[in-house]
Amino acid sequence: MTPTCTRAALPLLVAMVVAGRTTAQQIDSRLERLDAATRPTVAALVDSARTAMLPTEPLVQRALEGATKRASGDAIVAAVRRLAADLGHARDALGSTASPAELTAGAAALRAGASQATLAQLRHARGESLTVPLAVLADLVASGVPVDSAAAAVLGLAARARDADLVEFRRAVERDIALGAPPAAATAAAATAAEVWVNAGARQQRPGRP
Amino acid sequence: MFEPMDDVIERIARHLRRPVQIDPALDGRVMREVNARPTHAGAPALRRAWGWLRRPHQLTLTPLGGLAAAAVLAIVILLSRMGSTPSAPPLAASRAFQFVLVAPRAMHVSLVGDFNDWDATRTPMRRTGSEALWTVVVPLMPGRYHYAFFVDGSRWLADPSAPVARDEDYGEPSSVLTVGGGS
Amino acid sequence: MGIHSVGTSDAALVRRVQTGDTGAYADLVARYRDRLGRYALHMLGNREDAEEVLQDAFVRAYRSLARCDDPERFGAWLYGILVNRCRTAGARAARRARRFVHDPAALETAPLAGPDGRTEWDDTVRRALARLPSDAREAFLLKHVEELEYEDMARLTGAGISALKMRVKRAREQLQAMLKEAERV
Repeated sequence: MTPTCTRAALPLLVAMVVAGRTTAQQIDSRLERLDAATRPTVAALVDSARTAMLPTEPLVQRALEGATKRASGDAIVAAVRRLAADLGHARDALGSTASPAELTAGAAALRAGASQATLAQLRHARGESLTVPLAVLADLVASGVPVDSAAAAVLGLAARARDADLVEFRRAVERDIALGAPPAAATAAAATAAEVWVNAGARQQRPGRP
Repeated sequence: MFEPMDDVIERIARHLRRPVQIDPALDGRVMREVNARPTHAGAPALRRAWGWLRRPHQLTLTPLGGLAAAAVLAIVILLSRMGSTPSAPPLAASRAFQFVLVAPRAMHVSLVGDFNDWDATRTPMRRTGSEALWTVVVPLMPGRYHYAFFVDGSRWLADPSAPVARDEDYGEPSSVLTVGGGS
Repeated sequence: MGIHSVGTSDAALVRRVQTGDTGAYADLVARYRDRLGRYALHMLGNREDAEEVLQDAFVRAYRSLARCDDPERFGAWLYGILVNRCRTAGARAARRARRFVHDPAALETAPLAGPDGRTEWDDTVRRALARLPSDAREAFLLKHVEELEYEDMARLTGAGISALKMRVKRAREQLQAMLKEAERV
């Protein structure tokens, strides 16, 4: 004898599955700013990213940027698709515990030309958040620093430098480039200087000896 | 001769309807209090369903019915996690950032970027002090943001004091801001 | 390709906050800050109190966002919270004034804080507004400055439409009388 409660509960649970699935598939209302031809493709890309447990907000923002800048539908789809791929590669390199902010910065670093190996090395070198080191790496390359020089410098600082130290390092490089220094040389010089103050800061944190 | 009542009232009302500018730093103070609290989370329908499940009900299940119910429940929990919007950790604090642009000939400047859905109406900038200086303060959670200034509804300007967004897909200049912490 | 709508609706932002995206609340705050600040400033008469009440209203609204059943009407709902907070703050300020100011004439002629560069007309209007009873001031601001319909005002304030109409009428008559007085001086 099957109790009536079972018959009543199971359809309810099945309905909840359907409702849950529907919720997961609902198109972000912000994508209504895209034209009718572009919206479903972008929505599908966002949905795939969500299924793959990748952050979707950067994808939505990339699409909205395109809408505001009156880019073509093709350009928007290409940009979102490229970013989704970069986020996936960043997650492969940084691991499944990487935060959305780290993945976004990692995607930018990969797009700038850094290798997945560099990202993985950063992960091993630094126990704290990688958002700022990865962003600094991407920003240095955007300033014209060769990617190998930028990667070597950031890796050298990653273990001990605080976020603020890395930002200051990036500013020093940009300043020197603006003053006419070759980018690679500016990076090497700033990294040397940064190591001095990072080490000085580390020494001050050690307990005193008798 | 005194003005008729309606004209006086209309004059008062028009005067009081003039825009008032509240210090944008208030946004940062609100968000600090907001971020000190747990986030709202979970789609309402799933929350109600979860509430139904948590309340005691008289059920008698066959072994097969019990297995089926458990399997469906596991699927619901998995889908509710997939459907939820990724968000910053509940206790990560936002930081207030001031954006500044020198644009003496501009009539209207907006800050537009990843933090306001690239909506040119959301964050108008204000002339501050000198006529040439436009500023706005925005609270930002940890993350990396592309942004630009939209001038007079037609021109895009990157921030000269910020790194360039090299991964520029759309042919218009953008800048990058990275906010650390909170991962 | 075209852009079909500019801007994210209040409802969309509220729903994002309700699913854990706290950052979306910052957008709502930025959207409503100045508009609500205008009401608070005119209702309370000084910027410091207005900002304090405004901040309080935004935080309370966030706390009870789960109770906002109709995200499309977030603005009106938020307004209701602000109107309430202004009433509490106004009552507190009135008690403070009664405790420390024994000379009603001094209270009436005391300078009121206001935006920089205020004119004589600005001072006249502010003084007149401050002299209205708080319920009449509230009704006048909601009707003639915020330009709400009486039905919306009734929902916000909890008062009946007839009572609100009487308060607005009283406010208009008193304001006209006070301005007539001011012009004679």
